[in-house]
Amino acid sequence: MKYPRLLLTVCFAAALIGQTGRDAYRQAYDTWQQAQANLEHDAGTGAAPQVAQADRSAAAAASFEATRLAYLKSSAEDAAQRRQILQAAVTRSSPDLMPPAVADLAAAELQTVTRAIAKFAEDKDRGIQQLRQSMDRERVALAALTDTIKARQQTVAATSAAAAALEQARAKTAAAFGDQTSQVSQTMAQMEMESAAWADYYEKLADAIQIANAPPPPPASVGTAAPRNTSASPVPLVRYVGEWTYPKVNGIFHGAQPESVELEVHEKNGHADGTIDARFRFSPGSGNDPSIKFRFEGDITATPTQKFTLMTSEGTPGTIELIPGPAFNLLEVNFQTDPQANKIRSGNFILLKK
Amino acid sequence: MNRASCVFLCAALFAATAAQAQNTPDLAALEQTAQKRHAEWEALAKDMNDRMSRILPCDPRALAAVNEVSRASEARLAALSDYLRAVSAKAFGETADARNLLSSEEKHAVEASLERADAGQEQTAVDTQSDALAQSVKQRASLEASQKLLTQIAAKVHQRAAAMEQQAGSADAAVVLLRDLVTKFEARDAALREEFAASEAERARWNGYYAARRARAQIECTITQIGASQSKGGKQ
Repeated sequence: MKYPRLLLTVCFAAALIGQTGRDAYRQAYDTWQQAQANLEHDAGTGAAPQVAQADRSAAAAASFEATRLAYLKSSAEDAAQRRQILQAAVTRSSPDLMPPAVADLAAAELQTVTRAIAKFAEDKDRGIQQLRQSMDRERVALAALTDTIKARQQTVAATSAAAAALEQARAKTAAAFGDQTSQVSQTMAQMEMESAAWADYYEKLADAIQIANAPPPPPASVGTAAPRNTSASPVPLVRYVGEWTYPKVNGIFHGAQPESVELEVHEKNGHADGTIDARFRFSPGSGNDPSIKFRFEGDITATPTQKFTLMTSEGTPGTIELIPGPAFNLLEVNFQTDPQANKIRSGNFILLKK
Repeated sequence: MNRASCVFLCAALFAATAAQAQNTPDLAALEQTAQKRHAEWEALAKDMNDRMSRILPCDPRALAAVNEVSRASEARLAALSDYLRAVSAKAFGETADARNLLSSEEKHAVEASLERADAGQEQTAVDTQSDALAQSVKQRASLEASQKLLTQIAAKVHQRAAAMEQQAGSADAAVVLLRDLVTKFEARDAALREEFAASEAERARWNGYYAARRARAQIECTITQIGASQSKGGKQ
């Protein structure tokens, strides 16, 4: 099941990027702040309600950090995309298309015709005078041409200078944006560390409150106060226990596409049980039953992934895995049942905590 | 947005990009053509007068020689015009992109300043949490480990707030650089427009010169014929 799980993680990241925006992370931040209001103040005297509040705060903090990171990543990707235009050298016209030979040629023609005019200056012959006049018109045309050639030479030089200045500015701006990109990468790395630190903090805070409130051990008993996680699971139980649902939009799944999923998970003394009521989308006429209901149960184990046995409402056995998602309020579910005609046999999707 | 819409949009974008790539003229090829036409014209133009001096004025080859050079000149300047038009089109596209980038980066700078404010708010919040927990530790010593962690987190948040401050400053500075860059893009475009106008003016002047040169060749023929008919009349 490694491949689908990886795929789901990638899809989840893509879905998060799709729901980015400052408003999204601000909303998540406000939710977090509301969830953790007065928690530290009440921690000195608090008990079970503060433990639950710490769990809720941890989930809200994780949600905020994930949304914020997704926003930063999406923003950085957009910026990198639009700044691509600064990576290529700017367009400029080729100065090679204005060779000095052009001006030289016009100048040589002008000299030749000017000399010829001078040669015929004193000639009174009517025909020669006509010729001289025509040469004079040619000289005027050449003089004007020489001026426009000079003017074009100046514009070519001006274009080259403007393009050189532009190229220099482009390189400078591209370098400045490069620095900005590396700053954003550092911020993202810092946020990832903060995210882990907040999870650790709330875990320790809840433990500290619970330990302080634990009843003293009975003299005859060997056991100690029940820890918040009565099981050996390295992940807080809040990551599995509760009511979960398949999101109406941007749902993440592999294999059969769920239409709706409702999951309930309960835990008592290290033993979990729960129910799933799911409906899948099948093409009309496929003959498959789109609905499945089952119960599951089993002991919580010392691994992040919890595996339980299940029994469908029609008595078909199978297994289910509950895998904590990339954020506190996400849970990946992966189930398989024994083959049964026209019944769904497996499902893999991510659920959202209600 | 559902997956089908995403796929459709990507396909449409790709098709548009490909179509644009096909329509983009090959500047290198256009430059090569312009250079070739220039070399052809130069070869004919530089010895036009030498060739004409060896041809009698009314020999049809005299006028043909001027016409040949004139045609080569027009082909050269037309190729140059095509090249400069293509360069300008590409350059103007770049400038439009740079203006769009500036607009996006101005928005980004505003967002960066808002994020800086958000980081400041987070900093204040974590400080408040730290203060509250410090009071609670006095009542419950088991919270000491949590307090230590929260202090570390507060330091991280402060560090990130400082980084956000720096980023907001960098975003503002980048906008200033971009504004200057757009100005330089516009200056390059203006220079290109001037260059194009100058090349068109030169094209008209070369045509004027070759027209004058053709007129001279015709006058040379005319006066030669008058001279010949006068000398014939004298002999009679």
